Amino acid sequence: MEQVLAKQTIGDSEKVIKGKSLWIDAWYRLKRDKIAVASLIIVIFYILIAVLSACGLLAANWAEEVGPSYAAPSADYWLGTDIFGRSVLRKVIHGTQVAISVGFFSSIIAIPIGIALGAVAGYFGGWIDELVVWFYTVFSSIPGIMLLMSIAFILGKGITTVYIALGLTTWIGLARLIRGEVIKHRDREYIQAASSIGLGHGRKLFKHILPNVSHIVIINTSLQFQVAIKSEVILSYLGLGVSGQPSWGTMIDDAKLELARGVWWQLAGATVAMFVVVLAFNILGDALRDSLDPKLKGK
Amino acid sequence: MSLLSIQNLTVEFSTPDGVVRAVNNLSFDIQPGQTVGLVGESGSGKSVTSLAAMRLIPNPPGKITSGKILFEGEDLVQASEARMREIRGNDIAMIFQEPMTSLNPVFTVGNQICETLMLHKSMNKKEAWARAIELLDQVGIPDPQRSIAKYPHEMSGGQKQRVMIAMAIACEPKLLICDEPTTALDVTIQKQVLELMFDLQKKYNMGMLFITHDLGVIADIADDVVVMYRSNLVEQSTTKNIFTEAKHPYTKGLLACRPALDKNPERLLTVSDFMDDDGNEIKVNEERTKKVDKVYKVDKEKNPVLLEVNNLRVQFPIKGGIFGRTVDHFVAVNDVSFKLRKGMTLGLVGESGCGKTTLGRSLLRLIEPAAGQVIYDGIEITKLDKKQMRAMRSKIQIIFQDPYSSLNPRMTVGEILMEPMNLHNIGANKAERVEKAKWLMNKVGLLESQLSRYPHEFSGGQRQRISIARALAVNPEFIICDESVSALDVSVQAQVLNLLLDLQEEFGLTYIFISHDLSVVNFISDEVAVMNQGKFVEVDKANEVYLKPKEEYTKRLLSAIPKGIPKELLAEQA
Amino acid sequence: MNSSWNYIIRRILYLIPVLLGVCFLIFILFNVVAGDPVYLLLGKHASVEQAAELREQLGLNKPLFMQYLDVVKSAFTFDFGRSWSTKQEISSMMIQGAIPSLTLTIPAFVISTILSVLFAILVAFYRGKGIDLFIRVTCICMMSISVLVYILVFQNYLAYEFGLFEISGYEYGFPDFVPYVILPIIIWVVLTLGPDIRFYRTMILDEIYQDYVRTARAKGLNEKKVMLKHVLRNAMIPIVTYTVVQLPFLLLGSLLLESFFSIPGLGGMTITALNSSDFPVLKAMTILSAIGIAVFTLIQDILYTVVDPRVKLQ
Repeated sequence: MEQVLAKQTIGDSEKVIKGKSLWIDAWYRLKRDKIAVASLIIVIFYILIAVLSACGLLAANWAEEVGPSYAAPSADYWLGTDIFGRSVLRKVIHGTQVAISVGFFSSIIAIPIGIALGAVAGYFGGWIDELVVWFYTVFSSIPGIMLLMSIAFILGKGITTVYIALGLTTWIGLARLIRGEVIKHRDREYIQAASSIGLGHGRKLFKHILPNVSHIVIINTSLQFQVAIKSEVILSYLGLGVSGQPSWGTMIDDAKLELARGVWWQLAGATVAMFVVVLAFNILGDALRDSLDPKLKGK
Repeated sequence: MSLLSIQNLTVEFSTPDGVVRAVNNLSFDIQPGQTVGLVGESGSGKSVTSLAAMRLIPNPPGKITSGKILFEGEDLVQASEARMREIRGNDIAMIFQEPMTSLNPVFTVGNQICETLMLHKSMNKKEAWARAIELLDQVGIPDPQRSIAKYPHEMSGGQKQRVMIAMAIACEPKLLICDEPTTALDVTIQKQVLELMFDLQKKYNMGMLFITHDLGVIADIADDVVVMYRSNLVEQSTTKNIFTEAKHPYTKGLLACRPALDKNPERLLTVSDFMDDDGNEIKVNEERTKKVDKVYKVDKEKNPVLLEVNNLRVQFPIKGGIFGRTVDHFVAVNDVSFKLRKGMTLGLVGESGCGKTTLGRSLLRLIEPAAGQVIYDGIEITKLDKKQMRAMRSKIQIIFQDPYSSLNPRMTVGEILMEPMNLHNIGANKAERVEKAKWLMNKVGLLESQLSRYPHEFSGGQRQRISIARALAVNPEFIICDESVSALDVSVQAQVLNLLLDLQEEFGLTYIFISHDLSVVNFISDEVAVMNQGKFVEVDKANEVYLKPKEEYTKRLLSAIPKGIPKELLAEQA
Repeated sequence: MNSSWNYIIRRILYLIPVLLGVCFLIFILFNVVAGDPVYLLLGKHASVEQAAELREQLGLNKPLFMQYLDVVKSAFTFDFGRSWSTKQEISSMMIQGAIPSLTLTIPAFVISTILSVLFAILVAFYRGKGIDLFIRVTCICMMSISVLVYILVFQNYLAYEFGLFEISGYEYGFPDFVPYVILPIIIWVVLTLGPDIRFYRTMILDEIYQDYVRTARAKGLNEKKVMLKHVLRNAMIPIVTYTVVQLPFLLLGSLLLESFFSIPGLGGMTITALNSSDFPVLKAMTILSAIGIAVFTLIQDILYTVVDPRVKLQ
């Protein structure tokens, strides 16, 4: 009897067969998608530039005057110069650092809030859920741009403000997604099974449910970066953005006055730099969703 | 000329991992007015065959790569899409498995039936509506005048399937394809729907292709049977021949692995008793096939009572009013009392929504009962506090229905098995726990080397074995099996049932076995409780309940089970 | 029926805690965190007496709780007081600003919704084919460019260089306003087309793989009928409800477009208030938008029961 059963199972060798986790499965699926891999490489490239720039190894001398005011792109000045004769290329590179840091730090603020509130509300339900839902309904009743604007306005100009304002407005979507997903998993049989062996709330939530909803966080972070990068531009226009250092937002904002004078290169430089990375994050977000959540595949 | 003649049909699906052949070189015929049963387990290619006959295989990824499908001599594989649309719904109609999702939720059933009539019979709206009412009446929908304006969600599952049938026969097709039409239905509803289909088939003299995994249903309805296994046709014959002198070992296995209502072998036979992995026939061990009368375990009648349930009541609040206060209760388990002795198995049967699952979970306090007592081994579980209850949980375990959602997909099998041991301090150290996990794997017929694999790398039956191993990890005395074999193919189901019996014998386990499947419950249980609307209708020894049912409800339930004996044979026996 | 009314009443009552919460958030932001605005208004060199007098005048020396009540009162009476910079009644400023905003946003919204639904149907119909890929790539590219770039480039080249449109400004009354809003409308449509087509496409494709679609095909319906009757009627449920929650944003206008094209709508007004630290106007706009969103979310919930026969209110 026993032998018959064993024969029907997969392997015949007795050496340990290493399993492939869902993460590895997802990675294999992602790897098949050439465009997604290209996007991932672009994103990594931008992050690398940002890190090098933050360490002072790249474009640290962005403030230096390298040529005449408003020199058009040429062999000497690849992307031209701005009104003070500074290199637009260096400003674009420094802007990369600002953009990536905005995405990164706003995620650092938004992710813990989103996960904590979403998970607690979804898992416990009842009045805790109602309270959390009320809380994010209040936040989401104010249009994102108004809330962002108000918070940035009150905290005053500066890059830290941008981090905080974005962090405090983007957790809502994540909390809502996590809550929905946790509710779905809460009633699955493997959680019932965990209850039946006597696991407490903490272990059920942290060991069982959260790992199963964590792919949402990864997909969402990819979106968070592009929302953050785009929002930085709007805040700059509103005069609430980064000050004292160049960013893509301030460069685009400068173009208000430059375009009419035929100076297009500062706008072009920042726009192209931004377009490439936002596009990469967009494609990567879609690809991550397809590979991490295969049920949605093809939709 | 055959009505439908499938000749050397091959269907392939392209997947990221390569081309999968879903149907391989399949040939069979259906004559006018004949019912052909197509039997096979999941993944055998039977549903793909039915979709191929309608040319409804989603493309991409699926494709008919070779062969012919001759419908009244016309090759449908070569037919234009426009020609196919004339045929679909008019000459060939189809009924699907899931009545819940197969009807469009936003249109009334009348609208959906009329659509077919207006399309193929060029009726105007009024004529079609009148005909639709007739059709609903014909398929036994009560008050068709009013029901016709209902939306699908306002009907029960059985009624929805009747609507699907009305829609299919609307244009009096020559061929009706039914893909598992009764699988999602309760057994009593299944019987009514089958009878209806049989009558309609006779009335309109339709050819019928009836696809199912259930040989019991086939015996009732089919003239000929085609058996498919792993994309191939393995046997084709008249229904009577299949049931009396099946040739292919797979067919023999399939017939043998389904528990009967009267006599069964000690352990169910499985396909692997007849056939090895490569499809070669092996000689069956005569000992194994010997059928025995169901014996009540008399020697265990003197065992102490392990579980005593008194007047158990479980209810769910119904919210209402402006502030969503609880205005009423839905009573899922109503005043249930029973006793269960150590080493015995109590089977709990009933149709969907009867409260059997709720009862099982409330015994474990996964759902808190509203009133009554659950006394386990002299301890009143219902009164225990959190900490005491946690200690108790190592003694009582549960195995769930769905092998796909009952294991955490992010944990390896090893982690899944060792988590309960860690929690209940079983095994002195990690090494001992690993040893125990390996031992468990062997016990449930899996390999130790698979401990570091993840659930999604196993088949449904194997996952159910993992669930059993997890339950055994804490050395329980008592296990609740909640529809634990219902999602499995019959041949796998037999293996898991045998495993449960082996384990019971070895460790002296006590089971509560919950299922909607009466024959399975009969096979595995010593005592059976029939449940309806939250109450116990009848509790007795299994063979008493099955052979001499006292209550009307039990009799109705039992008579609805497909006998699994072809009509001609029944006639001969009589 | 009874239970639906209970649900609707409950949902309406739920607006109260939500609005109280919104008021509290606004109060925290503007009255607590923002600190003392009087020196922003009077300049750094104002005397202590002047400052005290202004505080008194603005009601800023009241206890915090009373200040919170003032915010709540304004939300329920729509009396937001006067603007600090223009000294006008804010509610009348809002009424004035609503018209220019709506003349921009309503046509823009109608055009973009129709276009994106049509494109989404087209894309879903030809899913997996060349045209699907092309439109999806275009959408995702369009979404990757900053709104500011669209405005700057369109305004500078199309309006200023080529003189195809008015550069900025506004005139009241039909059809005088038309030339001023055409370019902003084009930009709005370009901005919303990308995300909307993608969203609607997902909604439609969600339905295409349902079992009932297979049933419809098995009846012999052609693909067009399957798509336009069966699939679309179901996909319309999320599409319609999604569209409804967009409506309050129309009233609020577009912050950036109105500001760039000098359209005297509510959006432009908000930007002006921001630049002049005009707290009452900012607060009023925030409250107004929150009320709008809360009310239209409520309408969305109720609408579900109208467009989806399955949903029973509970």
